[in-house]
Amino acid sequence: MKSKMLITSALAAICAATLAAVCGAQALPAPGAGAPATRSAPQNPYAALAQLPDWSGVWDPAFMRPAPGAARPAAPKLTPSYAAQYAEYLAKNRTTPGLNFVSDVASCVPPGLPQSMQEPYPIEFLFTPGRVTILIETDHLVRRIYTDGRPMPTDPDPTYQGTSIGHWEGDTLVVETSAILASTSPMQGINGHSDQFRVTERIRLVKPDVLAITTTRVDPAVFVAPYSTTSYYRRHRDWQIMEYVCEQNNHDALDAHGNPAFSLGHKPE
Amino acid sequence: MKAGRGFVWALLGAVAVSLTLGGTASAHHSTAMFEWGKEASLSGTIKEYQWTQPHTFLWVIVPRGNGAFEEWGLEGMSPSWLGRRGWSRHTFQPGDKVSIVYYPLKDHRPGGFYVRVTRPDGQVMDALPQRGG
Repeated sequence: MKSKMLITSALAAICAATLAAVCGAQALPAPGAGAPATRSAPQNPYAALAQLPDWSGVWDPAFMRPAPGAARPAAPKLTPSYAAQYAEYLAKNRTTPGLNFVSDVASCVPPGLPQSMQEPYPIEFLFTPGRVTILIETDHLVRRIYTDGRPMPTDPDPTYQGTSIGHWEGDTLVVETSAILASTSPMQGINGHSDQFRVTERIRLVKPDVLAITTTRVDPAVFVAPYSTTSYYRRHRDWQIMEYVCEQNNHDALDAHGNPAFSLGHKPE
Repeated sequence: MKAGRGFVWALLGAVAVSLTLGGTASAHHSTAMFEWGKEASLSGTIKEYQWTQPHTFLWVIVPRGNGAFEEWGLEGMSPSWLGRRGWSRHTFQPGDKVSIVYYPLKDHRPGGFYVRVTRPDGQVMDALPQRGG
C-alpha cells in the first residue's frame, strides 16, 4: 500500500513537472477528493444521434446508373484548357472505351474526393457525436466529417480526401470539403485541379433504401460554373465492407512511361 | 486497376460515361492492355485461383500439343464484385478442368481478362456485369 502511494505520488510529480497537459486528461484524483454527490449526470452525447436518419447498412454504388428514361445530366462548363482535355477524353472513349482513362490510381494511388465516392464498391456511414465517418471499401479510405459546428480550418494541408465539415439540414447531411490534393481528378475524364477546388455534397435518402448524393464542384481554374451530379446508392443491410488492399495483387500498374501495362508475374497470394 | 473497379466501369464505360458525363462512373484503370470485348476461349487445368484485391487471378495450365503446356494468367473482377454475386475463394480448386472465355492481351502474351468460366460440372459462371443488368 505504501509503495503504491509512493508510485502515485511520483507519477503526480512527473506529470506536474513535465507532462501536465497530457496527464491532466486522465488526472489522478486529488487527495481527499471524492466523487461529487450532487452533480447532475452530463447528458449523454450519443442520445442526440437518435434524431438522425437511419443510414445503417452498406451502400452499393453499382446501382447508380441512370434509370431508363432519366434526364441526361447537363454537361460541365469547363475553362478552355480543361475543356480540351475533356473533349479528348470523350473522343477516345467513343472509339475505344476504357482505353483512355489513364491515372496513377492504376498503380494503387488512391482516388481523391469526389471520385473516391464514386468507385464501384460500397461505402458505409458511422454516426458518432459531432462527427459522421464515411468508410469507403475501395482502398480503405476514411472520411471524417465534423458536424460539431467548428469552422473550416484556415489553411489545412492538402490531402486526397480533403478537409470536411458538415451540418444537418433536416435529414440532409451537407458536407463542405476543401484542401483536396491538386493532383487528383475532380471528375471522370479530367486529371488535376487548382487549390481553389471545393466540393459540396448533399446526402439524403430519396427512398427507404436509396441514398442520393448530389456533388457540386467549384474551381475557377476548371469549371466556368459550378458542376453538379447526383449519384445513387442502394442499401444492403446484409452486406459487410470487405478488405481492399490494392497492393495485394495488382498487375495493372502503369509502366515507366505512365502508360497502361499488365504484368504476368505470378505473385504469391 | 483496381481491378474490379476499373473493369466494372470499363465494361459499362461507353454507355455509362456518355449517359452520366463523368459524374457517376469512375474507371480506375485502363483496359488498353486487352482486346476488350473480343472474346477468345481456352481449355485447361486450374493451377491456382487467387482470390485477391484488386483483382482475382486464374492461373491455368493449357495443353499446346506434343505434350507441351503453357501457363496462362487471367485477370478477373475483384472479390468485392464477385464475392457479392455468388463467387468465393472456393469457386475453383487446383486440378479443376475448365473452359474459359476471355479477352486476350493485345501483345499476345499468354494472358487476358476472364469473362465466363465453365466449371467441371458444366455450370457456366458469368464473371462480368451484363449490360443493362
